[in-house]
Amino acid sequence: MNSRNRLPFPFTAASALVLATSGALAQEADPYAPLAVESRPLQTRWQTDYAGAVQLGLGYTSDDNYMFGQYNGRNKDEATVIGNLQWQDFRSADSYWQVSLSDLGLDTREGEITWGVPDRLKISLGFDSQQQVRNDSGRTPFRGDNKQRLPDDWVSGLYTSDWTALDDSLKKFDRELSRDRLSFAADARLNDRWRMETRLSYEDKQGHGDIGGAIYTDAASGDAALLRSPVDYRTTELDLGLSYDGDRLHLDGHLAYSDFDNKDDILTWQNPYSSFGPNVRYPNGEGGLGLAPDNDQASGRLTGHYIFSSTTRLQFDGSYAVASQDQNYADYTVNPALTVTEPVPRNDYDGEVATSTFNTRLLLRPMAKLNAEVFYKLRDRNYDTNRDGYLYVRGDGGNQPRSALTVYNTNHDLTSQIAGFEVGYRLPLRSKLSFEYEYEDVERRNAAVEETEEDRYTLGYRIQPWSNFSARMHLQYADRAADTYHWDQSYYALLDAELINATPDNQRYITHPQLKQYYMANRERWEGKVDLSYLPTARWNLNLNMLYRDDDYDQSKLGLTESKWGRVNFSASYAVSDTLSGSVYTGYDRYEADQTSRAFRGGQEKNAFEIYPPLPQASDPQQNWDIDATDTSITLGANLRWQLAPDLELNLDYSYVDTKGEQDYSTRPGGSVTASDLPDVDTRLHQFEASGTWHMRDNLSLQLDYQFYSYKTDDWAWKNVQADTIDTVLTFGQDNPNEDIHYVGASVIYRWR
Amino acid sequence: MAGFRLIFSALLLGTLCVAGVVGGAVAENGLTETRQAQCMDCHAASSNVAVHAINNTVHRDLAGGGNASCTTCHGTSEEHLRAPTNTAPDVSFGPRWPSGADARSASCQSCHEKSDQILWTGSEHQQENLSCDSCHDLHRQQDLATAGKASEQICLNCHQQVRAELRLPSRHPIAEGKTACTDCHNPHGGLGDADLHQVSLNDNCFSCHQEKRGPFLWEHPPVAEDCSLCHRPHGSVNDRLLTARGPALCQQCHAAAFHPSVPYGSEGLPGGTSNQNLLGKNCLNCHSQTHGSNHPSGARLTR
Repeated sequence: MNSRNRLPFPFTAASALVLATSGALAQEADPYAPLAVESRPLQTRWQTDYAGAVQLGLGYTSDDNYMFGQYNGRNKDEATVIGNLQWQDFRSADSYWQVSLSDLGLDTREGEITWGVPDRLKISLGFDSQQQVRNDSGRTPFRGDNKQRLPDDWVSGLYTSDWTALDDSLKKFDRELSRDRLSFAADARLNDRWRMETRLSYEDKQGHGDIGGAIYTDAASGDAALLRSPVDYRTTELDLGLSYDGDRLHLDGHLAYSDFDNKDDILTWQNPYSSFGPNVRYPNGEGGLGLAPDNDQASGRLTGHYIFSSTTRLQFDGSYAVASQDQNYADYTVNPALTVTEPVPRNDYDGEVATSTFNTRLLLRPMAKLNAEVFYKLRDRNYDTNRDGYLYVRGDGGNQPRSALTVYNTNHDLTSQIAGFEVGYRLPLRSKLSFEYEYEDVERRNAAVEETEEDRYTLGYRIQPWSNFSARMHLQYADRAADTYHWDQSYYALLDAELINATPDNQRYITHPQLKQYYMANRERWEGKVDLSYLPTARWNLNLNMLYRDDDYDQSKLGLTESKWGRVNFSASYAVSDTLSGSVYTGYDRYEADQTSRAFRGGQEKNAFEIYPPLPQASDPQQNWDIDATDTSITLGANLRWQLAPDLELNLDYSYVDTKGEQDYSTRPGGSVTASDLPDVDTRLHQFEASGTWHMRDNLSLQLDYQFYSYKTDDWAWKNVQADTIDTVLTFGQDNPNEDIHYVGASVIYRWR
Repeated sequence: MAGFRLIFSALLLGTLCVAGVVGGAVAENGLTETRQAQCMDCHAASSNVAVHAINNTVHRDLAGGGNASCTTCHGTSEEHLRAPTNTAPDVSFGPRWPSGADARSASCQSCHEKSDQILWTGSEHQQENLSCDSCHDLHRQQDLATAGKASEQICLNCHQQVRAELRLPSRHPIAEGKTACTDCHNPHGGLGDADLHQVSLNDNCFSCHQEKRGPFLWEHPPVAEDCSLCHRPHGSVNDRLLTARGPALCQQCHAAAFHPSVPYGSEGLPGGTSNQNLLGKNCLNCHSQTHGSNHPSGARLTR
């Protein structure tokens, strides 16, 4: 502490009394303490003011699992090391460094080392490991990775129930994905105006996912199997940035390159079924699935603003990116026994898609209380690729078909433009009224709808009449109009002229003409939001948030016709004292979607334009059916932070989530279509976490952690679905998650200055 | 006479105190050497005051360090020095005398108006009267807003509805801290939707899911247009972050002859017909390449 200068005059008794009294008063109460707020959470207070802290210990997870440990590395019944380190040194004015390592004992470990010269240079090296585990209760008879074969004693059959050797051949497998990423970053201030940034990363993603593959000859047949899918990706990314910081003009430019490399091109599997011809059925038949192709993207981006004056500013953000892919094509079929006379039209896709974006906003303040902005957004996606005919082999199920069955690839260019303005006016009681208008125009090429236009109007009001209460309201109306729906566009784009000419006019479509794909359909939207915050006292904080959105696809007879979304969230936090605080929160979310479709067969039943009875199925509204799907979720949570004693802290956290998925069907009276409601899909999660820390000494603490996790669901898609339950789909026979997991951890935290 | 001496001594004492305050050399930041000493005199380090934790951060050496690092952000605050308990510093971050949000942000923007912060003015957060210190706290060794796992709590303090989504059955690893809110969103503002870092929502998704980037020989048009047509990124009741479950989700857009147009109700459950379009992965039992296919035989997204 710096001392005040002593005064150069005789130290009289009166002077001494004044000084002594002042000093005594200063020691009894620190009037400045409230000015520097103690905002550090309890559990970190002991970790500040130290140069470093290391936490070492052991944790134990009670059981193998895949929901509790889905992302946190604790998916096995095992003990794991707790290892965390934070260390930094800012004592020198010339340079500083920081080290951060966490979860060292888990497969989700991550860390970063930073060295820098203040306001001049910063260099970081980092690593980050991520893990995702999925339901591993399933089993498969296949062996191998990207070439999957059945055991030698496999017994085939037309249906899964015919496979008498299935049970003995099933083996468990892991469905885990791990990502390991190394990164390097360097930021340098070149001078007062210019800065440079460099980012380089390399990521390795490995493991297994799942994928379905079928061997078939037409849409009516399909002998499918769920397969373990290999994932072996490498991604390298580089980003170079240069920024300029002028008096009026600020610019931030980046050049980026991303290269994605998949070590696997194709996944093949041996056909377990005995359908179709001898070259297709077990043991000779084989199916092949193309895996994600290698691709790369080069892009440039410029962001910035120009300050015209204190009341006028222009902001902009533009980019141009080219994503390209030229991976060699696979053959039409992996089965060499199938006859293919016409080869693939070219060796590879050799195509690219260029995406241009430009967003700009002009901010104005024409009057002290009036803010305005005018904005424009552009996104343009433009393909540059060849259009060829592909006489493809259907499902590795037969020889190459006749030429009339050639299909043609199509590009889907898109241009989206949004223009609009927003004005806001400040009113009394610290309130603000705002109005926004947006016009969006989307042009799609080679799509059923060439253009959609939407007008959006948003009214907002924000008020803070008292310092401890604020409210925000927002009301939006949007009206989207779509061009003529060309229901036959995809038919003519995809199929060969010979086939088209052989098809009656009234059957020249793929998806029913009355179905409008909702993202290109007329839509009327209403949306309202309310957000209230109230602090009744300095220790209370209450928040209520509500949203309701109604989308009406009023011109859609088939497809998604209406959706409603509502949610309410409430939270309350209370700081009883500096050593005790708690919070509770609850939320309710409900999403309803109504959709209609019409069941129809092909051939003459596919005529969708007949008006005279007897109506073909595609023309008959009695063939309609509806789904009313509703997803709801209820969440509850509570948190308590309590410093029981100066050296003892307790942190408790509880979360409860209850979700329900409902799908209710309805059909037309007198129609031939029947469908019954599906059972609800319920999930229930309880998660409780407790952490206690005893600060044995200033630099030494003991921490105990406990977690309880309970997750249950009864998804009908997997319930009682064994590997051979479905006639023509070999599934994993996986169980629905049903976990009760306990985790305990004990660790020591040591700090040093 | 004794009384006069007492009064005179007190006055002399007070005068010389003031003289001591105003005297001394004037420093570069406008404060005299004596004034320079006074920031630290009152705002002393103590176990209950976090002010000095800033000395363990990169902000320690602003303008050469010491009291100059205080005035760089809080202003020269001469009035506050003269009447520290009655007058606020030029820029105060509260709680007693919080300056206006724009003044507080301007203090930070004198250095931090680059890169990710370049579009702060006019951003959603700025228009909601937030300032830099609404999320950042420099008077601590580790600013929670930049602390990875802990930063999500700052966002959730206001964005309560997202807290509910983070525990839904299908989700990104946000609750575990492996995906931070700031991995996708730029809280300092942006000109695109939802203040995403990338120029579009799809590019944002492709920054982690590069295998979906394509382009593909056989594209699934809604995929190339907007990932959120089928997915809810914060969390979903349905598997794979889907907005609805199959086959209903697929049938919102597909109604072709035969199996795509047929309803699949409970009669297709085990014990009934065990329908392949309903159970397991439903449509994806065969049509697995929903994000696009590069296989010459993949026109129906089955290869």
